[in-house]
Amino acid sequence: MLRSINIQDMRQRLGAAIDNRVRIITAGLGLDELRAVMRGDPPTEKPNPRFKVHTTSFLFHIRPRYYQKGSTILSHTFRLGYWVVFFYTVELITGIVLMIYYVPTPEGAYTSMLEIMSAVPFGNLMRDLHRLGAEATVIFTFLHMLRTYFTGSYKKERSFTWLTGVILLIITLFLSFFGYLLPWDQLAYWAVTIGTSMAESAPLIGNEVNLILRGAPDIGAGGLLRAYLLHIILLPLLAVLVLSIHYYKVAREHGISMPARYQEGDLSKEKQKDVKRRVDFLPDLFSHEVYLVVLGLFILLLVTIFFYGGAPLESIANPQQTPLDTKAPWYFWWLQGLLKLGDKALMGIIIPGLIFGLLFAIPYIDRNPHRSFVKRPVAVSLGVLGVLILILLSYMGLPQYGIETPAATRIIQDMSPEEGHGPLQSVPYDQLQQGFYIVNETPIDNLCPELDFGCPELEEFYALFSHRVNEVIESGAIPNGDAVIVIENWQEDLKKVTMRITWDDPETGERNTYEKHVYIHSNSQGE
Amino acid sequence: MSRFNLEILLGIILVSFTTFIVVIYAFNEEDRMAEEAEAQHARAIEVGATVYENNCSGCHGPKGEGILGLCPPINDGQFFTTRLEEVGWSGSLEDYIISTVASGRTTSTRPDEYAGQGRPAMPAWSDEFGGPLRPDQIQNVATFILNWESTALEEFVLEELATPTPSPEEEADPVARGQRVFLDRGCGGCHTIEGLSAGTVGPNQTNIGTVAETRIPGMSAEDYIQESILDPSAYVVEGFQDDVMPKNYNELLASEEFSDLVAFLLSLR
Repeated sequence: MLRSINIQDMRQRLGAAIDNRVRIITAGLGLDELRAVMRGDPPTEKPNPRFKVHTTSFLFHIRPRYYQKGSTILSHTFRLGYWVVFFYTVELITGIVLMIYYVPTPEGAYTSMLEIMSAVPFGNLMRDLHRLGAEATVIFTFLHMLRTYFTGSYKKERSFTWLTGVILLIITLFLSFFGYLLPWDQLAYWAVTIGTSMAESAPLIGNEVNLILRGAPDIGAGGLLRAYLLHIILLPLLAVLVLSIHYYKVAREHGISMPARYQEGDLSKEKQKDVKRRVDFLPDLFSHEVYLVVLGLFILLLVTIFFYGGAPLESIANPQQTPLDTKAPWYFWWLQGLLKLGDKALMGIIIPGLIFGLLFAIPYIDRNPHRSFVKRPVAVSLGVLGVLILILLSYMGLPQYGIETPAATRIIQDMSPEEGHGPLQSVPYDQLQQGFYIVNETPIDNLCPELDFGCPELEEFYALFSHRVNEVIESGAIPNGDAVIVIENWQEDLKKVTMRITWDDPETGERNTYEKHVYIHSNSQGE
Repeated sequence: MSRFNLEILLGIILVSFTTFIVVIYAFNEEDRMAEEAEAQHARAIEVGATVYENNCSGCHGPKGEGILGLCPPINDGQFFTTRLEEVGWSGSLEDYIISTVASGRTTSTRPDEYAGQGRPAMPAWSDEFGGPLRPDQIQNVATFILNWESTALEEFVLEELATPTPSPEEEADPVARGQRVFLDRGCGGCHTIEGLSAGTVGPNQTNIGTVAETRIPGMSAEDYIQESILDPSAYVVEGFQDDVMPKNYNELLASEEFSDLVAFLLSLR
């Protein structure tokens, strides 16, 4: 009897001790309460411990106590701001893993990329996630801004929140921009060279800004280290700082905006009461966030592993060799398009400066108090116009637009671009049969009678080459044009492909030649 | 079912799917890494081949066959078997190639067989020592050269592309034949003829037919060219080193080759 009482007593005391520990860790939620939260049950104690944590715990303190039900509907926010933070977190985690292996020197950077891809388990996955996550961050930041603009959620008490949001957009763009340089391949090097050269064209301080960014007149060891430090320290710190301000205002000051139809529309009393009903952080908002993390990770991993071709890595940066087609990352195509329109200082610095200045000022310019679409026709149509201009400028930023390359160079570069795959690279190695293939002399079909299954891809490639050459011969761009492809065995598993076009120079009458030698190894494409 | 419970259910399903995806990826990871390493090796060979063509082929030949009397072959069995012992190199062949390419050779190790291009016998190629190549390029060249091993040791027979037989007109023309001698004998490794070769060790020969007429008063262009090939030290152009060009071209060239070469050089005006 005595013994059993003692055991019961001990059990109770042990339970109380554990409960107490748990309360310390969770800042006030006991075991029973935790269980209730996880099951979606009502609170177990009074006063409601789920509210108390918001004052006793810093991490809960910076989260909202509740949102109004009307503001949480999916079709109003699409959770876009949430996804930005989600991808920022993905970037942070994968970035830390990549930092373990990455060396920010011109000698070490590219080699460490190769190592991450071939010698670090999950290294390639981390790199793909980091790259895809960066692009997703830019996309969602931009969409979040569009959503805020078109729902008119930047007005009155939200105008400062909008301003911090524009700063975050700029920080996100700069983060991607400086991260872009780090692989130290041709793609990175020349995109960033073009980008920083815009800084150089800035009036008065351009030269100094350029020197501070690059550490030298050209991008080298200094420029790489600076880009790295900006990418991993300064800009992330700034992002955390500004995001704290941005988010705290939403979470603790004005909340998510109510959809215009609830705020301004004619609602019945019950409906009004319903949309203003509180949705508490614990358990509803919190459980929804956890669910979105799981959903986001699933989609991100699924896309990265099964649908993403892999983050590109071109050949190592070579300051001596400017690639034929330099291309900025897609989210800067609009800037590249602007640059084609005029002077570097005007189009690269002043106009973008004005654009962002305008973005900052939107809430202060737009004094229209209404938020619904129909009551702000000017703002909505200007917004649509802005998006269309952005798309148009991005199209103009493509290398295909407005840049003339000599016909012979264009054909041969199209057949086998300096980087990546062209039609030549898609011919399987064993179909590259040694020989001379003279355009308009060698027949297009039955190129390899000695192969059992012939060489359909080689024939296709040769037909395409002949077609392109004949096209320009007919257009008169290369008078008396001749073209040949020579395929030679060079070493074991290595072939040399020579593509040559010769023509009469229309002015001097001399014979001109453009030729390119491409070496192809049987394993280089991976299988 | 409430949204809360639905999300818990879906969440659990998604977590198991995600785990499944990652496990599949993990099983495949080792193979993927090996494949990627192989592809990187292959790309290094491709890049090395281009660097070799642009920087080394002038002296060591387009396919590493070297130039008799000047530059040693680097694609033969000797290079892959006894060369390290010969020079007393204790490291790997790859290290040997990288070290030699990077720092060059002040003097030839085999001055009688392969004199090189004078002093230095081979220039330093690394940008650390005043050359044009970065360390990664030198590494890739070494990877490319090492890929000759299987053919050098005759483990693999490379079918070469037969050069198209010259047309009868070309065959009858001594100038055309001489041009082939110029290229086959590696003259272009040291001498520039615009549009044909880009060597800088010896004087530019683009207009040698005209230049030779006036070089030595009273000497015909033909005599000057003939004597300069057979005895390179007879007249050394100012600014160029003596004792660089081999002096045994009377043995190396058949008499017809020699007369064709002279005819070709005379035609360069």
